[in-house]
Amino acid sequence: MAAGGRGVADPLSPAGVPCAFSPLNQAYFALASADGQLRVWETANNRLHQEYVPSAHLSGTCTCLAWAPARLQAKESPQRKKRKSEAIGPSNQIDLLALGTAVGSILLYSTVKGELHSKLISGGHDNKVNCIQWHQDNGCLYSCSDDKHIVEWNTQTLTLMVLWYWRGDNSSVSSLCISPDGKMLLSAGRTIKLWVLETKEIYRHFTGHATPVSSLVFTTVRPPSESQPFDGVTGLYFLSGAVHDRLLNVWQVRSENKEKNAVMSFTVTDEPVYIDLTLSENKEEPVKLAVVCKDGQVHLFEHILNGYCKKPLTSNCTIQIVTPGKGKKSTPKPIPILAAGFCSDKMSLLLVYGNWFQPTIERVALSSKEPHMCLVRDISNCWAPKVETAITKVRTPVMNSEAKVLVPGVPGHHAAIKPPPSQTEEVESKRKLGENEVSIEERLGALDIDTKKEKDDLPQTNSFPVLLTQGLESNDFEMLNKVLQTRNLNLIKRTVLRMPLHAVIPLLQELTKRLQGHPNSAVLMVQWLKCVLTVHASYLSTLPDLVPQLGTLYQLMESRVKTFQKLSHLHGKLILLITQVTASEKSKGMTCPEQKAKLVYEEERGLNECFPFLIYFYQDNWDEDEEDKESEKDEDVDEEEEEEEDAEEKDEENGEDRDVASEKELNGDSDLDPENESEEE
Amino acid sequence: MVEEESVRVVRCGGSELNFRRAVFSADSKYIFCVSGDFVKVHSTATEECVHILQGHRNLVTGIQLNPNNHLQLYSCSFDGTVKLWDYVDGILIKTFVVGLKLHALFTLPRAEDSVFVIINKEKPDVFQLVSVKLPKSSSQEIEAKELSFVLDYINQSPKCIAFGNEGEYVAAVRDFYLSVYFFKKKTTSRFTLSSSRNKKHAKNNFTCVACHPKEDCIATGHKDGKIRLWRNFDDDKKYTYTCLHWHHDMVMDLAFSVTGTSLLSGGRESVLVEWRDATEKNKEFLPRLGATIEHISVSPAGDLFCTSHSDNKIIVIHRNLEASAVIQGLVKDSNIFTGLMVDPRTKALVLNGKPGHLQFYSLQHDKQLYNLDIIQQEYINDSGLIQIELTKAAFGCYGNWLATVEQRQEKETELELQMKLWMYNKKTQGFVLNTKVNMPHEDHITALCFCNAEKFENPTLVTSSKDGHFKVWILTDDSDIYKKAVGWTCDFVGSYHKYQATNCCFSEDGSLLAVSFEEIVTIWDSETWELKCTFCQRAGKIRHLCFGRLTCSKYLLGATENGILCCWNLLSCALEWSAKLNVRVMEPDPNSENIAAISQSSVGSDLFVFKPSEPRPLYIQKNISREEVQWGVFVPRDVPESFTSEAYQWLNRSQFYFLTKSQTLLTFSTKSPEEKLTPTSKQLLAEESLPTTPFYFILGKHREQQDGKINEAFESELVQLPLTENIPAISELLHTPAHVLPSASFLCSKFVSSLLLSKETKSSEEIPEDVDMEEGKESDDSDEENDFTEKIQDTNNTDLGEDLLHQLSKSEEKELRKFRKVDYSWITVL
Repeated sequence: MAAGGRGVADPLSPAGVPCAFSPLNQAYFALASADGQLRVWETANNRLHQEYVPSAHLSGTCTCLAWAPARLQAKESPQRKKRKSEAIGPSNQIDLLALGTAVGSILLYSTVKGELHSKLISGGHDNKVNCIQWHQDNGCLYSCSDDKHIVEWNTQTLTLMVLWYWRGDNSSVSSLCISPDGKMLLSAGRTIKLWVLETKEIYRHFTGHATPVSSLVFTTVRPPSESQPFDGVTGLYFLSGAVHDRLLNVWQVRSENKEKNAVMSFTVTDEPVYIDLTLSENKEEPVKLAVVCKDGQVHLFEHILNGYCKKPLTSNCTIQIVTPGKGKKSTPKPIPILAAGFCSDKMSLLLVYGNWFQPTIERVALSSKEPHMCLVRDISNCWAPKVETAITKVRTPVMNSEAKVLVPGVPGHHAAIKPPPSQTEEVESKRKLGENEVSIEERLGALDIDTKKEKDDLPQTNSFPVLLTQGLESNDFEMLNKVLQTRNLNLIKRTVLRMPLHAVIPLLQELTKRLQGHPNSAVLMVQWLKCVLTVHASYLSTLPDLVPQLGTLYQLMESRVKTFQKLSHLHGKLILLITQVTASEKSKGMTCPEQKAKLVYEEERGLNECFPFLIYFYQDNWDEDEEDKESEKDEDVDEEEEEEEDAEEKDEENGEDRDVASEKELNGDSDLDPENESEEE
Repeated sequence: MVEEESVRVVRCGGSELNFRRAVFSADSKYIFCVSGDFVKVHSTATEECVHILQGHRNLVTGIQLNPNNHLQLYSCSFDGTVKLWDYVDGILIKTFVVGLKLHALFTLPRAEDSVFVIINKEKPDVFQLVSVKLPKSSSQEIEAKELSFVLDYINQSPKCIAFGNEGEYVAAVRDFYLSVYFFKKKTTSRFTLSSSRNKKHAKNNFTCVACHPKEDCIATGHKDGKIRLWRNFDDDKKYTYTCLHWHHDMVMDLAFSVTGTSLLSGGRESVLVEWRDATEKNKEFLPRLGATIEHISVSPAGDLFCTSHSDNKIIVIHRNLEASAVIQGLVKDSNIFTGLMVDPRTKALVLNGKPGHLQFYSLQHDKQLYNLDIIQQEYINDSGLIQIELTKAAFGCYGNWLATVEQRQEKETELELQMKLWMYNKKTQGFVLNTKVNMPHEDHITALCFCNAEKFENPTLVTSSKDGHFKVWILTDDSDIYKKAVGWTCDFVGSYHKYQATNCCFSEDGSLLAVSFEEIVTIWDSETWELKCTFCQRAGKIRHLCFGRLTCSKYLLGATENGILCCWNLLSCALEWSAKLNVRVMEPDPNSENIAAISQSSVGSDLFVFKPSEPRPLYIQKNISREEVQWGVFVPRDVPESFTSEAYQWLNRSQFYFLTKSQTLLTFSTKSPEEKLTPTSKQLLAEESLPTTPFYFILGKHREQQDGKINEAFESELVQLPLTENIPAISELLHTPAHVLPSASFLCSKFVSSLLLSKETKSSEEIPEDVDMEEGKESDDSDEENDFTEKIQDTNNTDLGEDLLHQLSKSEEKELRKFRKVDYSWITVL
């Protein structure tokens, strides 16, 4: 469809490299690069499908290429009685690719077999081939060249033969296009000529381009007015673009041979190198046109072709691709677009961009509203050829450390506890506002307090309460570390006692944050938490929004102690084992085994019996708490107990000597879980 | 009613490629593999399918090259026929009807007119190797009933039979026996290994066998991973064997290289091992081939190997152990947990692929695009290992987000769950992990769904789990002073009376969320997460749940396990209608109001297409598949079709694909088979003319120059060259397949006579090219023109009579030549 790029003007600029999408569903994209290699890419997954180096790739580099019309293969067999299903194979296989070279030969390459199919030399061109077009029906091939001739090739019979060889122009013929009905041929050098294919006679002349025409394409398949009988070509529009020309001209084939000028024109920013369009099948449907310019931009036009228009039309949408500018140093650089093709749904565009060595193919959905689309793409990693992925067909999505990780207990893993939904949103927002104000006041107040304290007793400036409040206010990590990493229990107690009230909630939040970390550091934090909750319980219970404030802390604890019951079971069993072992060791020297057996049995039963009683006790207790909403204090105390024991438990896992003590706690711990569950409601 | 018939069920994605060993063509350009009822011809260079040989009516069970003609291929099938194909053009040449179910096929160059097949006689588990004489006949379909028995009590798998040393003997293995039959002596020797009763050798069953191509050496593979090399087996007593042991699990297949210097083996480890010189020291490996190696084959030219794998792929490997091409079908190895989805970005079908991967399968091109590695852990190929499984996946927000759930369960109580949320990075055109959630729920996740309404700024994901909760995850801003970031957090946890949450589903506009808790459906407001209402039909657990779309968005549909399909009206909060239908699959069409339901009965699966607003179905297709249908999906069409008939208007905007239990992907096609067949006749047949080689340049330079001169002569004018190709008789002759033509002897006489006629014209053509030659033109002239040339010569002589002796001598020479020619012609006349 689209006219391939005309020659290789500048080997460094990627624009203008001959390339084409395969017909029908654009499964492949063929690109003949300046180093003489032909590469075929799969458009769906951006994978290099095959690579072919013609034997004469250095002398005769590829100057143009064209896909043969789809080779339709029957894959379906009629339905049989026995098997209900039948297979659809690759129904539309596209096979042959015609390559024109700089020395005048034409190669037919089979993409299915991956090898050269045939080479057309005899009777052909003796100069650079400029354009190749396949006839859509009969398998003929038309080529034009710098040697001023047009050749019709027959590819279907046994030997590839030149059918016709005629002089197409006085200068080199640069572009060809076959009419939709297959009976006419457009050729262009400096002037555009319409040939009748059967007789090889000139039917019409069109003049208007000052430079050699580089691309020709028919834009309509039916004439705009259905009144007069349609002879296959009269009334059709076609489009032409020329070298160094920023205008694309639209011409109409007319029955009378008077008008020779262009009907209308489209303006673009640079010389067009690749043109694709969607054919409009009826009058109402506009023609969509995608023009890739030499400067690497794509211009999209959408226009209903009906008669003259004096002013050149500007594009409806421009697409550009740039690299992301990292930081302030590197500015975004444009990435050239090599080709653009409409998908079969006419609503999205396949864009090929980057360098010809490793182009990226992307499907972009078109929105008619935006006049300018700027896509930011990072193609830096595309430079390395990915051989391995080509073989294994495995793509590995990026998994980096920046990803957020949610484990049970971390805020976000479970829904945050919100204030009861009975309060309306308005009230909430008001309260929030008020809260903010209060906090500022509090801060001011806190400053006052600090200064007062400093005035009162100067030697205490670096005392722990002051350091703590300062650290919390400034969020100074080191200062906080200094305070919070103390192991002295008395010191902790005293600090908590002396600290100002407004710092309690920030401290709790800081502690929550630290608890989420490594369990070893959590051991220390638990001491702090315990102190805070015992000392400031009364203050905390007065806070109206305590539940959301301490929700994460609660969830964290809940998840941390989830496996505690299992652990304590294990612990109990281990103790049982150890005591039995020690007992049996003792029994060797001592008394009869009956007594010991009794002892062990009682212990176990005692454990089991303990549970139900305590569960009931605690549940009752908790239900009461829930009813009179002021039970925050109890909850906190519970939590504190829980955490404390948790920590201790961890300690004891290492030291086996304090078995008896842990066993005592075990009873207390395991009964906390049912209570937690009830609280979830 | 003619139109009704034309909606048919067709298969896509192809069948298993790994059922039997692949076979290479003699020049290693093509590779043949069986695929269901077909034989596929692939190019080894491009992986593309060149031809599909179709004609068998049942599973193809064996393929072999015709040893007497390397351009032909034999195939055998369960339908009891052996067919001979011309694979270059994809033409069926002959069919030999044997009439018995054929399980495998072997050919031997020595036995020209017969092939060996495995058949099943009498008892179900007793298989025989017999040779079938293929009678010579000109007809297309020939009865081949002349069977001669070779070996009895063999394994049905072709891996357990091998012909050795140019067909002098055949080795067969089964259980603990190796039997060797010598064709010359017509004797069978049998070798036994200690059976499983002995605990030490618990697993030394034979699994496969291969014979050395040149020497008397048999390699056998065993269940315990050992390879035994047997020698001197022509003597029942003196036989020896050596052991090669590397595989830790069963040896799946063995193959000798063409020269016999190396032995290839493969198994579950998915490592191809090359044993050089049959010694344990010289081993070469090609590891990480992805899946269990099922078959190994070697090209007759010796430059390529190929391995067939359990994940439905064939890898072509170079002699130096480098993989060069992969022919990949739809991966059929794993169980499909994720169901079928459509990636909004690539429009590809997405489902479970390789273990731990999601495969993207392009329906337009009918081939696999790629596998996306979700779990990113090395897959350990070992039986009995509990692997991490990818159980759920969902796309959200036009393909910008992908949510995946993986799980591993060693014991009943020990469940490991992980949910990953991937963001599509437009800049790099790939997925990037955004949030990883460990244990998002305490129990299995039953459903995962994105809110796909036009709320771009606030993507929402809902997970429902057997632990009785459903969780709502929202995307929040996680930016801090160091970086800008977004991440997912849990926004809401809902539950309903501690029932297990089984399904979840958003309405089209995203305003309502329906979550089913066993028998009860709950409707939640997605703004405030308040419970709006509940529906309960007491008709069993809800298996499928979906909202109606477009004009039917006020309806909610639920299918229960007890075979009731219910439709509730959300405005009146009442049951609109219900129907008795055992629904296995229920899928809404994203482009219309239609909903497809596939029901399961004892006979087969039936398809019902209906609108929620009316209980009468739009379209019913009975018996779409004999198997249970597991998953289905509507795939939007790129270009809408325009069927006017009401019966299949539902196919206008979307196409329906479904997957059966045996993992065949099926769809509905409306095109009649004739319509699809006609383009073959229009097929573009471009003629092949091979490019010139350097060798040609040396030899053919002279001829080319002559051609060039012809062209020069014609260059100036517009000329249509006289073409023999244009003569219809010749083109007909050349385009007709060889087997349809009359015999060569008949054609030969005509051909010869035609040559006699053409000689005249040829000589007349040759005149112009000899114009340049000084004097030698006469020498090339033919005998018939002798008189004429003599006259010219005479005139020449008279004209140039004054010339020197030199000239005379030349003319004398020519005279002599002429005499010589005359002499020859005289002889030929005699």
